Amino acid sequence: MKIGELLREADPLQHEEPYPSADQRKASRQVVLKTASNAMGPARITLRPAMIYPAVLALLVAAILARAWSPSVVKVQAAVSFEIRLAEDAPGPGLRAAKVSGSDRTIYLHDQAVVSNSDIESARVVQSPAPSRYYVEVKFDRRGAEKMLRGTRGHMDRPLAMVIDGKVVGAPTLRSTIGGSALITGDFTKAEAERIANGIR
Amino acid sequence: MDRECVAAIVPINIGRDPVERLASLFDLHYDRLYRLSRRLVSSTDDALDLVQETFLKAARRPNSVPRGFADEEAWLVRVLINTARDQWRKTSVRTRTDNPGSLSATETRSPEAALIARTAVWAALDSLPPRRRAITVMYEMDGVAVSAIASLLGISAITVRWHLSKARRALAQTLGVYTGEKQ
Repeated sequence: MKIGELLREADPLQHEEPYPSADQRKASRQVVLKTASNAMGPARITLRPAMIYPAVLALLVAAILARAWSPSVVKVQAAVSFEIRLAEDAPGPGLRAAKVSGSDRTIYLHDQAVVSNSDIESARVVQSPAPSRYYVEVKFDRRGAEKMLRGTRGHMDRPLAMVIDGKVVGAPTLRSTIGGSALITGDFTKAEAERIANGIR
Repeated sequence: MDRECVAAIVPINIGRDPVERLASLFDLHYDRLYRLSRRLVSSTDDALDLVQETFLKAARRPNSVPRGFADEEAWLVRVLINTARDQWRKTSVRTRTDNPGSLSATETRSPEAALIARTAVWAALDSLPPRRRAITVMYEMDGVAVSAIASLLGISAITVRWHLSKARRALAQTLGVYTGEKQ
């Protein structure tokens, strides 16, 4: 038996629950969030005159760099159409029924998209925790981030539809607001994830 | 798309409130970190503690966590490994070097023999420095590619391969009785 086989056979996750229980996770989450709340405190920064000039200079340099870099994010014609729309579980006036890919579920889409290709600043492929499976990380530009924040704020605990090439590929229930970026998780191979990431920009 | 695409969208980098962001970080990365943690320490409780300590470090220094899924995951993994390393250093050398090779292996694959082999493997893994151990378990148990490990840890692929080679050699020395490579 080779070392690799020996290690895989001894993997504790093969012989016990691969994830902690919901209670263990919840307890740990509470401790962490409580610490975060305490750590925030009333932090104050006093700006001394000597600090103002370097700060202004840094801002100017940042502004110049941002202009210099802007050509690299010029948008090209998107090869994959991408939209995020608010949706409902029940029909209603002005809503359009749509089937969610890979399931028997039907959701009802609002007529206006929250964001689409033109609101995306960048998209890239990231490895998922599962081997050979990949996600797509999408960063919205400033206008897109504001649209997402505004659009999702009043839509908690209702579905949010992700539409790629006209198909609803996912409609998770919204549990928290979405701002600057989002992660498209799914059972993507690297080629599929790259196609989406390259196509939606 | 060649086959039907099913996906979910997970909010990350949300809002400006650090607590809200930390909640999102926790929900998104907890499972992945637990899986790595469990393979780095010897018990479920230690693994839970290690993951919690990692998120507590993020909670105490929210501004040091970079933005974006891949960058924040890499940051959390590195903090987790560094935390494991600090704990590993505190453990007495004697505890780590209990000779796993002294356990006798049997030719039969009985449940007892399998358990003994597992115990020996864990003792051997305990002797590896945490970063080397993390690289080894990510590669061998989780099937993560060398290039992905390199970008996750912010090191070169050559360094990852070097760690893998050193780990294999060390494990072969203590586990030779099970692999038949060396006594």
